[in-house]
Amino acid sequence: MLEYAELTAILPHRHPILQIDRVLEVEPGRRIVAVKAVTGTEPCFAGLTDGLPASAYAFPPALIVESLGQAGAALWVLSARAGGDEPRGTLVFGAARDFRFAGAAYPGDVMRHEVVVESLKPNSAVMRGETWVGDRRIAVVGSMLAVARPESELAAGPTD
Amino acid sequence: MSRSFAVPLDAVDEVQVHADGVTAVKRIVADDPYLVGHYPGFPIYPGVFTVETVHQAARRAVEAGRGPGVRVELAAVRSVRFRAPLLPGDVLTAACRLREDPDGGQRVRVDADCRRHDGEVTAKVSLELLVLSQEPADA
Repeated sequence: MLEYAELTAILPHRHPILQIDRVLEVEPGRRIVAVKAVTGTEPCFAGLTDGLPASAYAFPPALIVESLGQAGAALWVLSARAGGDEPRGTLVFGAARDFRFAGAAYPGDVMRHEVVVESLKPNSAVMRGETWVGDRRIAVVGSMLAVARPESELAAGPTD
Repeated sequence: MSRSFAVPLDAVDEVQVHADGVTAVKRIVADDPYLVGHYPGFPIYPGVFTVETVHQAARRAVEAGRGPGVRVELAAVRSVRFRAPLLPGDVLTAACRLREDPDGGQRVRVDADCRRHDGEVTAKVSLELLVLSQEPADA
């Protein structure tokens, strides 16, 4: 199990966009299970008018993608380190396909991401995953591509 | 700031609705919400925020087009490919083409071409929106 403090040594993301709280299980090179607690104090719930329906407080899908993606990024880094290596550069989201939402997470819910490796290379990783709240599966992603970019390349602009 | 649903940020500064879709403009600034952590001392507009720009623009267009009594949800990110970063000072223009599915129009397909002010393609985004009838408010 990895706690939040340890995650800051794995991911470059910081408050408030570090979107995983704890890693429950990891098998380097294979899979990870990570959780994120959703709370009403997060910036995404700021400024909502009164009297809205419950659906207005659904945790934004874009942040579910980010959170699941970070679980995948953590799996990649932990897998590389288990092999005595390190992804070279800043990890960025390269692409995703078939990210489907089948439910929502609300303040008070804990999202559990399960991510499985499809392929790992020194500069890229392909993974698929699911997000659960209790026994409800709220999101599935068919494939996510993460890539490691040198910071100089990021600052310069085009990366393709 | 008064919002009707939770969002990570107001990801659209201006929208222009046209016949087959909507074009959104977002100016990237270092003090956009969440950017302080993405990344410290090296702010980059997160890729998922480009998805959010397209989502908010398309949602607004569909809600405006269908009138009151509908609620629009993001059903799927069918595909997204990020090609170039967006840094503070950059201006993102997302040209979104909307197509309703043939049976009933309950699903709307959104294909967006996202470019930086210098013309560089930053992302290609394809979303699927679900159009529902509005539930009654709790209050």
